[in-house]
Amino acid sequence: MAPSAIPDSPSPPTVSDNEENNLQQFFVLHKALPRKSSRKVSGPGKTRRKIDLSPASPKSEGKSGANHVEEEDDCYYEQLRVEAFNAVWSEIETKIKDVLREINISAFDEVHRWVCECFSTIKSSGTPEAVRPYPLVTDINCKQIFTALVLTKNIEFVDDLLTFEELGLHLKSKGCHVANLSSLDFSAKNGIGGCLRSLLRQLVMVSLDAPDIAVLASWYSEQENYNNPSVVIIGDMERCSGSVLAEFILMLREWVVKIPIILVMGVATTIDAPRNLLPSNALKHLCPFKFSLGSPYERMDAIVEAVLLKTCFGFNVGHKVVFFLRNYFQRQDGTVTSFIKAFKIACAKHFSTEPLSFLCRDLLNDDSEGFWSEKCALLPEVMLKNAFSFPSCQRCKMTEGTSENLASGLFELKKLQKNWSSVVLCLHEVGKFQKMHLLDIVCEALDPATYNKNASDNHLGIGNGFSKSSPSDCCLHAGQYSGKSKGGIISQVVRRVRDLPVALLSQLLNIWRKHTKGISEIHDKVKELQSMLKFEDNGKSLKQDSKDTPKRPSSRGTMNMEDKKTVNEKSATLMEYMIVNYLQPIECIPFHEIICFKNVELLQSALIGDPRRTVQVDLLKSHNFLQCSCCSRSGNVLLPSMHDTSIMYTLAQEHGDLINLHDWFQSFKEILLGPSTKGKHKMKQSPLSKKRKDRDEPHDISEASIQARFCRAVTELQITGLLRMPSKRRPDYVQRVAFGL
Amino acid sequence: MDLNDGDEDEFGFSRNYFLAKELGGSSRKSARKLSDINIVDEQELRAVSAGIVTKHENEITSLLKSYKSLYSKWVFELRCGFGLLMYGFGSKKVLLEDFASTALTDSGVVVINGYLQSINIKHAVITIAEVLKDQLKTKRRTPTGNISKVQQPFSSQSMDDLLTFLDGSDIDDNNCFVCLIIHNIDGPGLRDCESQHCLARIASCRHVRMVASIDNVNAPLLWNKKMIHTQFSWCWYHVPTFAPYKVEGIFFPLILASGGTAQSAKTASIVLQSLTPNAQSVFRVLGEHQLAHAEDEGMPVSSLYTICRERFLVSSQMTLNSHLTEFKDHELVKTRRNADGQDCLYIPIAPEVLEKLLQEIG
Repeated sequence: MAPSAIPDSPSPPTVSDNEENNLQQFFVLHKALPRKSSRKVSGPGKTRRKIDLSPASPKSEGKSGANHVEEEDDCYYEQLRVEAFNAVWSEIETKIKDVLREINISAFDEVHRWVCECFSTIKSSGTPEAVRPYPLVTDINCKQIFTALVLTKNIEFVDDLLTFEELGLHLKSKGCHVANLSSLDFSAKNGIGGCLRSLLRQLVMVSLDAPDIAVLASWYSEQENYNNPSVVIIGDMERCSGSVLAEFILMLREWVVKIPIILVMGVATTIDAPRNLLPSNALKHLCPFKFSLGSPYERMDAIVEAVLLKTCFGFNVGHKVVFFLRNYFQRQDGTVTSFIKAFKIACAKHFSTEPLSFLCRDLLNDDSEGFWSEKCALLPEVMLKNAFSFPSCQRCKMTEGTSENLASGLFELKKLQKNWSSVVLCLHEVGKFQKMHLLDIVCEALDPATYNKNASDNHLGIGNGFSKSSPSDCCLHAGQYSGKSKGGIISQVVRRVRDLPVALLSQLLNIWRKHTKGISEIHDKVKELQSMLKFEDNGKSLKQDSKDTPKRPSSRGTMNMEDKKTVNEKSATLMEYMIVNYLQPIECIPFHEIICFKNVELLQSALIGDPRRTVQVDLLKSHNFLQCSCCSRSGNVLLPSMHDTSIMYTLAQEHGDLINLHDWFQSFKEILLGPSTKGKHKMKQSPLSKKRKDRDEPHDISEASIQARFCRAVTELQITGLLRMPSKRRPDYVQRVAFGL
Repeated sequence: MDLNDGDEDEFGFSRNYFLAKELGGSSRKSARKLSDINIVDEQELRAVSAGIVTKHENEITSLLKSYKSLYSKWVFELRCGFGLLMYGFGSKKVLLEDFASTALTDSGVVVINGYLQSINIKHAVITIAEVLKDQLKTKRRTPTGNISKVQQPFSSQSMDDLLTFLDGSDIDDNNCFVCLIIHNIDGPGLRDCESQHCLARIASCRHVRMVASIDNVNAPLLWNKKMIHTQFSWCWYHVPTFAPYKVEGIFFPLILASGGTAQSAKTASIVLQSLTPNAQSVFRVLGEHQLAHAEDEGMPVSSLYTICRERFLVSSQMTLNSHLTEFKDHELVKTRRNADGQDCLYIPIAPEVLEKLLQEIG
């Protein structure tokens, strides 16, 4: 797009004529210009495709037109990729939302049941008769405010935003009146008025300048309202201002007769949180109940299962990326939101860098091979060539670059991918017994090194094969496999299958049977095992064994240990067989580049900017970026030709946390003036200021200009925030802010 | 192994810190004064600093040019709904505006100069809304009019309404967006919590895409998780330019020029805004006198009193004195003797700054 835009627009508003805009708070740089190509591209896509694909390639259009066509082609395919991203991501996003809702649904139902109970208690004591004058009720119970404390098990609130929103919707759908407040509504700045205002806005749908709870009470007394409970959700209770919340509670209590409100509060820390936040006079009016939500790990496993395993969204990630995502989740903040954000960036990066990625969208939908060959036949030659020059293709020596080959390759890819998912799901079923996280299993299952090793060894000694870790790759593997010393996670899983008690084993086989539906070979074997188990079991009750304990010699000799062991052993062998034959990581499959994102550096740099470190590196290594001929040979020696601010910051490294401006200025001046002032040698401790004969730097720099450049450099450092300016107490010093990178 | 590296890093960091502290101790002994430098006159300093020749101009230009190859990627990501956040040393003003004017021609672009001292975000949002509305009109060949029909002008709408419009669920074309460029989203005018929350809400609107630059190394501290992950949704780009911070640095005092006495206009204006209108008017009288009689030592207290009484600003010497004490406490006003031995009041601020200051409180 960009390359086409430059020649197209005859007079791009040049930057230099913005001088007067520089001091405007804001300005309109330009309005949308009607773009020539945009109509063509986004409009009749189908006809366009026919036109330029029928002559097989742009070549036939003559040399002069070729470039233009290519450009338009790029534009067209880019548009396709954007559309593909939007389609794929919206699918993934919807799926994630569904999964999260599903996880919470039981907790939501519980809360709803509780709300109903509370409401009937309130009703039975006859309080919410709005017509009665206040005060009327003497029953102390009714003056209490029913409060649900929902333990979120998150330190960061960001995951719970969605949860409480969903909870609100859920309760609303069941007929409750719901207001969703947050800590922003309970700020000390806005006081009680702030939360009342949003309460009124959400419940009564009015916005008043002087909010009054009487309005709320009269609204509630209306015929259609008082038959339903009204619930106020405060998602992040701990972050509310304690005094405002207390005031709110006291107010609710005063009005409890006219409008009995049920509170639902999200608690991130412990159940004690209200006690720490609220004064006792407010606390005593609360009648708390405890609820819990799933832990972030549970949510994470569910999301991974849905996004990476269960459905093929046409987008996948490679081993290193999953590894990075896992570490990012575990170490950054443990929030699902940050994981999703990272995954989204990975997805966008994939579609923006991989030219063929627009094909992903169709992986989402169609399954038949015929569809694929049709699709691939339409691809221009350049694209085909692209596809067959993937390393994964070259590895398996697929030389003939025909569209049929590509089509069958893609079809195969999807099939193998499905098989892989099935095996991972089977592994996870076993892993569940040991509380393994799915993400860990996926990480290991995606490792191409392990698979390749297995393939080359071609033996079934999985235990050894998997204990080998992947070639470690700098920072990304910082975590290493958690179970490295005991062998890989997968080999643990296999061992576990051997030790499983019968009841669990039969349970497991049941689930395996479901998961392996796609692989008939395995499916049959699982059935076989099941029948063996049933046969041996011979109708014996399994209950006695159902506790997850290691086998112990049983005195009941009817079903002998040997037989049981065989089934276990056979299951384990089957598991190993599955691993060797079907657990083929996506990175080992031809054409995986089309749907698989592997560039972890790209992801990392887009996701986590590290300005604190990077800006310092910029300054200390400026010549690496500028690549000028004058400074690059300097090594560690400061030259007068270097960027002023860079010189200054390097000099600052020699100082302590305080930098004497005078000294700093003098050493700066020495550097600028170069070798001629060698005699002075003021800086004793500086290894950096060793002078070197430098040719073309003029020595007749005026004092004024040195001072001006000094000032400019200090200002620039101040802008970067690396310096704190002199204070009244210390007028001659600036303070360093960063120490080390 | 890598875990150890992390420890190493941390250890290195603390070691650096303590080494620095230690060094600080030793250098304090040889404390020299800034005044030992023969500082040239401020006027000259400013004149010279305006004409500093940028080093490596060619290299900087080619560095900027090298980023052009990324433009298409940036556009792609904007279209995917991300925001772009540029960091790295050097002014990124030229880069961002060049990007917008070459690669974002099919959408409107509004620029906010975050390096300025104060910024009215509401006004900017009104402008964005207007640009978006224009854009929608031209996109639809046949103006259906259902947008403009009932609407009151944007300038009289509340922030919530404006944001609802920008989020525009009623606008079906998801590809239609206005790009908002913010130079120095961490700048002094935007650094407060409220502005950042507001910007985050703008960024999360469906029809706005944000491209911003940061320069301060601690800028990420401005945002909480919610803002980062669900509102801004940044894609970071490290694009050091090494271009001089010409415009961005304009409001910073020169470190060698602010020799103690000179009161910066900003603090003065903050103090004055907090005073009563009468006190402000007294200050104005003094300031106007000083501007009119630049060569005088100052304004004698008696004549200030006379004028203030005439204008009903003060009723007694006492009230005037209380105002003056306030001024002196904040170093807005100082006294010195003139040739006749009278105590004269003067404002220790440069004439052009004073002029601007008087305009501000007016």
